[in-house]
Amino acid sequence: MEFEFYLSSAITLFATIRTITNTNPVHGLLYLIVSLIAVAMIFFIIGAPFVGALEIVVYAGTIMVLFMFVIMMLNLGKDVVKQEQQWTAPDLWLGPGLLSLALLLQLLYAISTGGFHTAAGITNIDVHQVSTTLYGAYLLCVELASLLLLAALVAAYHLGRTTENE
Amino acid sequence: MSTNLTSDGIIAFIPIIVAATTATLGMLGIAIKRDHFWNTTLMLGGLTLALISSVWAWQYLPTEAVTDLFIVDAHAHFYMLAILIATIACIILAYPYMQSHSGNREELYLLMVLAATGGMVLVCSRHFAGLFIGLELLSIPMYGLAAYSFQRSHSLEAGIKYLLLSAVATAFLLFGMALLYAHTGQLSYAGIEQALQANNSVSTNLVWTGTSMMLVAFAFKLSLVPFHLWTPDVYEGAPAPVTAFLATASKIAVIGALLRFLYTVPALNSEYLREVLAILAGISIIGGNLLALLQTNVKRLLAFSSIAHFGYLLIALVASQQVLVATGIYISAYLLATLTTFGTIAYVSSPYQGTDIEELDRYQGLFWHSPYLATALTVALLSLAGIPLTAGFIGKFYVMFVGVNTAHWWLLGTLVIGTVIGIAYYLRIITTLYVTASSTNQIRLPIGWNHTISGAMLIIIGILVILLGAYPQPLLIIIPSTITNLG
Repeated sequence: MEFEFYLSSAITLFATIRTITNTNPVHGLLYLIVSLIAVAMIFFIIGAPFVGALEIVVYAGTIMVLFMFVIMMLNLGKDVVKQEQQWTAPDLWLGPGLLSLALLLQLLYAISTGGFHTAAGITNIDVHQVSTTLYGAYLLCVELASLLLLAALVAAYHLGRTTENE
Repeated sequence: MSTNLTSDGIIAFIPIIVAATTATLGMLGIAIKRDHFWNTTLMLGGLTLALISSVWAWQYLPTEAVTDLFIVDAHAHFYMLAILIATIACIILAYPYMQSHSGNREELYLLMVLAATGGMVLVCSRHFAGLFIGLELLSIPMYGLAAYSFQRSHSLEAGIKYLLLSAVATAFLLFGMALLYAHTGQLSYAGIEQALQANNSVSTNLVWTGTSMMLVAFAFKLSLVPFHLWTPDVYEGAPAPVTAFLATASKIAVIGALLRFLYTVPALNSEYLREVLAILAGISIIGGNLLALLQTNVKRLLAFSSIAHFGYLLIALVASQQVLVATGIYISAYLLATLTTFGTIAYVSSPYQGTDIEELDRYQGLFWHSPYLATALTVALLSLAGIPLTAGFIGKFYVMFVGVNTAHWWLLGTLVIGTVIGIAYYLRIITTLYVTASSTNQIRLPIGWNHTISGAMLIIIGILVILLGAYPQPLLIIIPSTITNLG
């Protein structure tokens, strides 16, 4: 499993660097998604499949796709079709695609060989453990996190308004 | 290990629960009907209730652990009271200020209540998860608050600047926590302390890097030199009541959390860390004061002076003797004086006319047409300068006292130099208040009942500054001298 860990880490690092260095926002976001998936892969390797799945569902799945839509929809204009063609050009998705493919192959390989790397003292933490901790000892944190989201929502609502008056 | 919430825990947590409920009710109130007066009254009432319940809970349950994440002891209660007082004062100041604000006014109070809740959580936390969520709950409403009057580009700039830099600081904090966790395998302060003591590994690189990174985040929030770059711009750009909130409630919460972190994990609070704190203190005092000397904008001047004040405060942390008493007194004096100074700016700038009155020459001759306000401001500035008979003097005296006791001579030297520079620019503001004004740019104060309330509050705070300076005993009684450390 060590090789898989280093491979995932390398993909994470590379994808993150490409996220920052890219000038095209959509291109950058694609790499960011790959980076998040690679992080999820690391979670799978170290025995936290639930967190790994959440990472994919919440970050890569929801937030990033939302970002993607927003960026694409903000550019509604005359030359939107031309831009769309530019954004779907193969050289744009080829890099992230290859990286994702590497992750997928790695996942398939890991599934076929099976099991966690128990030798390094890694135990599998399942959903049950995560949720009993979250709603037991960390219950107050969950409640406070909802307040945090309320604060962010109110601030975003206030700043996002375009009209001056009611 | 008590992991689950007990009924005593809920009682101890009542101030925070009340504040959180106030935020929720406030949100619902805004959703049902937007009414500036009633929404403000609702949130003000909620916070007052939180204040009363905090005093009650303090007497009923002096120390109570609330799950593994939080502990509500005397230290927490004292800082919660300070945060609540600051927030209530800022809301009272914001009411006349926001009267003529175009656009939504009520969210300002809602965000302030949420930030106050975050601050209260922060001073109670004894666990990295609580620390992080408290700090974020304090910071995220601040972004919205700093950019509140976003029609003004300065305010928007302040918000974005604070957002970006604060996010970097948060990243530092998280990374620091991760490194400490990687080494100790613990997230609670007590657990970290035990793990560090057990394998006697305080001075490994991992621990140092982690602690230093966390210190960077704290220093950013306290705007210590060299992490102060955001301070003047954010202070200048944010609406005046928000600046008052940022300078008081936000910073007080962070210093409360820093104290708890350093004193529940004494293994980290070593000679080396104190050297680092001493350097931060020294350059903050000198840098903050020198930069303040160059300013003509009152908000920027006070921003730099607040940098210097937290430099003074760090001397108590470096001296590490009676540190809680010294910081408690210093914080109380700073709270009152800062509320008055920023409060005066908010007061004379109300109702909001697009810009705050912040250029020093606009304050020319303030004394001759509103003598009470000018007197309160004078007292507050003298207190910030540390003139005897004001609360600020008692604060500085204690810091000086612990510094002398532990023989930190060069640090005391910077304190003396800083105070002298400080007196120079505080006196410049004070003399401006008393010269006869040129008639062109005088401040015109509209008179209305709402103005009278915040005005009266400023004068009462001004009187308190003098009272506590002359007779500090009541303050000394309530300031806690220990932080409870339950293993």
